[in-house]
Amino acid sequence: MDNTPILELKNISMRFRSVQALKDVDFDLREGEVHALVGENGAGKSTMMRILAGIYNDYEGTYIFGGKPVRFRNPHDALEQGIGMIHQELSVIPSLTVAENLYLGRQPLTRWGMVDWRKMRQNAEKELEHLGFNLDVQRNLEQYPLGTQQVVEVLRAIVSGAHVLIMDEPTSALSPAEVEELLALVDRLREQKRSIIYISHFLEEVLHVADRITILRNGEKIATLTREEASMNTLISLILGREVDYTPRGHHEIRSDTHKLLEVKGLTADVFQNIDFDIGEGEIVGLYGAIGAGHFDLARALFGLYTFDSGTIAVDGQVFPPKHSARYAIDHGLSYATESRRKSLLMDHAIYRNVTMPHLKHIGRYIPTQDQELAIATPVIQKVNVVPPDPMNPVGKLSGGNQQKVAIARWLTFPPKVFITSEPTRGMDVGAKNEVLNILRQFRNDGFGVLVVSSEPETVLAIADRVLVMSRGQIVARMVNENLDKDALMRLI
Amino acid sequence: MDTSTNPLASSLGERIRDLSATHPVAIRRITSLAPVWTLLAMFIFFGLASPNFLTVRNLENILRQMSVLAVFATGMTFVLLLGEIDLSIAAVAGVSAMISATLFTKSGAAEPIPLLAALAAAILAGFISGFFSARFRIPTFMTTLAMQLIAGGMTTYLSKGRVITQITDVSEFLGSGRIGGPNGFPVIVVVAATSLLVGHLVLRYTRFGRYIYMTGASKPAARLAGVNTNRILLMVLTICGFTAGLAGVVGMGRLHSALPDAIPSYLMDTIGAVVLGGTSLMGGRGGIPQTLVGLLIYITLRNGLDNIPTIDIYLRDFITGWVLLVALVINTVFAGRTERDKTI
Ligand SMILES: Nc1ncnc2c1ncn2[C@@H]1O[C@H](COP(=O)(O)OP(=O)(O)OP(=O)(O)O)[C@@H](O)[C@H]1O
Ligand SMILES: [Mg+2]
Repeated sequence: MDNTPILELKNISMRFRSVQALKDVDFDLREGEVHALVGENGAGKSTMMRILAGIYNDYEGTYIFGGKPVRFRNPHDALEQGIGMIHQELSVIPSLTVAENLYLGRQPLTRWGMVDWRKMRQNAEKELEHLGFNLDVQRNLEQYPLGTQQVVEVLRAIVSGAHVLIMDEPTSALSPAEVEELLALVDRLREQKRSIIYISHFLEEVLHVADRITILRNGEKIATLTREEASMNTLISLILGREVDYTPRGHHEIRSDTHKLLEVKGLTADVFQNIDFDIGEGEIVGLYGAIGAGHFDLARALFGLYTFDSGTIAVDGQVFPPKHSARYAIDHGLSYATESRRKSLLMDHAIYRNVTMPHLKHIGRYIPTQDQELAIATPVIQKVNVVPPDPMNPVGKLSGGNQQKVAIARWLTFPPKVFITSEPTRGMDVGAKNEVLNILRQFRNDGFGVLVVSSEPETVLAIADRVLVMSRGQIVARMVNENLDKDALMRLI
Repeated sequence: MDTSTNPLASSLGERIRDLSATHPVAIRRITSLAPVWTLLAMFIFFGLASPNFLTVRNLENILRQMSVLAVFATGMTFVLLLGEIDLSIAAVAGVSAMISATLFTKSGAAEPIPLLAALAAAILAGFISGFFSARFRIPTFMTTLAMQLIAGGMTTYLSKGRVITQITDVSEFLGSGRIGGPNGFPVIVVVAATSLLVGHLVLRYTRFGRYIYMTGASKPAARLAGVNTNRILLMVLTICGFTAGLAGVVGMGRLHSALPDAIPSYLMDTIGAVVLGGTSLMGGRGGIPQTLVGLLIYITLRNGLDNIPTIDIYLRDFITGWVLLVALVINTVFAGRTERDKTI
């Protein structure tokens, strides 16, 4: 491997008003290497990548690219120089064909200024073949699974000439099989001498794919390790700056005679059929499935946001009427945190307002005063450890993982009887993951029920007392979470 | 989203906002009140340019000119806050006035029947648009466009193309009456102020108001928090129908007649004034105070140009358009609404 860096950051600092997001950070990227970037939520990873990609340009310090100091004015400038960024939220357009997506905004034109469809198709086929992918470029992208869409997003950056690829948490919404596909692509790109910066909270992935690993903490660079130097434990302690207090899972007695808090019988909709299960007092049930198994929609159906055709839902003995509303579900003791925090939060609104959103009925008489709302929101904001903890901050200014904490915190104010949460730890760092899992455990120990819906086997195994496995709309296995491992789960779907 | 848009404007705005970071309260107040400064500047300018502008008579004129629009704008603020649109308000106002006048002249119905019938028709119109949009997820742009035709067609049918100049005393009073003798305070201004005030209280101090802001800012987020967004949409369009009907009755009183066609400028003037004040067309941002300032700017601009005798009357709209554009730019730059969205 060539050791001269193709890009380099020197003494980079960046402030957002009161938050010092980066402090004197040095970083370099070599040709043909995969350089992973890890760190806690809010450590400054995304900020640094946005500087590299030309999104932020009001930083201090020097950015050297191709041997010369540069300051890109916008992402377009950066892309011209071959630096492309892949954001976590997909920017491909599912209703267009694969070819159209690959050439989005840069369609080849004919002499007459019209889109040259034939050329576009041929180019797309050629490029894909060259990169070793076998996709039908004329099919709409939505017909491919999410993982493939993510891959197309990466390919698009490459087709537009990116030599340096920045991937910010590319796998957080992918199923394990799709992760494999993406990691294989990363390997292939490395062989082609492209350079990749890879951000992830999944340390296994990082250890598998990275040549070097840089750790950020509180906006400062802590260390850059080579793969040989790094291990799971060193990474975790460097990321957190302390020893992890892994709360041992402890043996949680499951009694079969507990009072049932949630009973679901024969629930059927287009994407799931005949779902039967129940959750008792003081029990965490994990619902595991690959993306597309219908488990996320099942969670929505319980909460009244997905229409089901038949079957019954009962909470604490109270049978829900068909077509119940989300309001009804909340009022009768269900709550639901969706897997997409972008959808569940108001980015422009203050944190405390996002917390009190579902509970306005219970605060104040007509409308809560700000003081009343703050009195309710502040303790839970502290409880889940949102950083920075100022409840008046807009949620949009928090880092990804901290936004997720807000989405969970909102349901701790007026505790429900059963808490349904999809991907509760998506996008969270190792420490925060642990904190959230502890919050859920606490919830259970207080005698409530929890349903954790996830496509990450690790999450389900770490928290659930019982595991349900869903595949193609059916529950295919029910197990007590004892001596289960990741492979055992994944083999079932 | 696009960070490359207009670097000049945003850097100016950013510089001002940096100032507001170091001198928090004072300057942030000033920048967020940008439309108010625009308004003040216009008052000073027109006051200097025309001797008639800053007279009690003319200021009262401004208020009266504004009043019908203010009633419309109350409902429109609700609709825009939700990120929706109502294209039918002018037509609904027209049909309400015509219903009232027809009942009075043809059927000899006494008040309050014509008034109640007019308002009921307007509420129904809003309800129908809202119902179809909520139930079948048709964009309000389309349902209210249809309602514009329905209400307009109904007006034509009722009027047979004729102006009705006999209107009820109640409408006359609401639109042209004065409290305290012939030189007293115009009733129409009281109606407008009441409408804005009630609108403000609802938006600001009720849960329903909060739900409107939440739904406007993000529909999925509101739904996930248990808000019945369909019901909010239905209620908001019904409210907008009601204010359009009220504006129709009041406007009829001001003109002393019910017209066979809707006054199309009402629609665009209303939307224009509300957006000028700072309420976003995308929903979630703005409110009645903003609308009030927007209305004042809009009407002052029109009135002020009327009061400068040297301006060629045929150039008036041309100039109005340019000044409007400048006012919009000032408002967005200073209010920091050009701030880049860095949270990609
Ligand atoms: N637009 C912004 N305005 C103000 N503060 C911001 C903004 N963007 C980020 N920050 C702050 O800067 C810090 C670094 O955020 P950044 O998004 O880079 O974290 P991250 O390492 O990507 O975290 P995560 O793993 O949660 O995505 C955080 O404290 C965050 O609150
Ligand atoms: Mg991030």
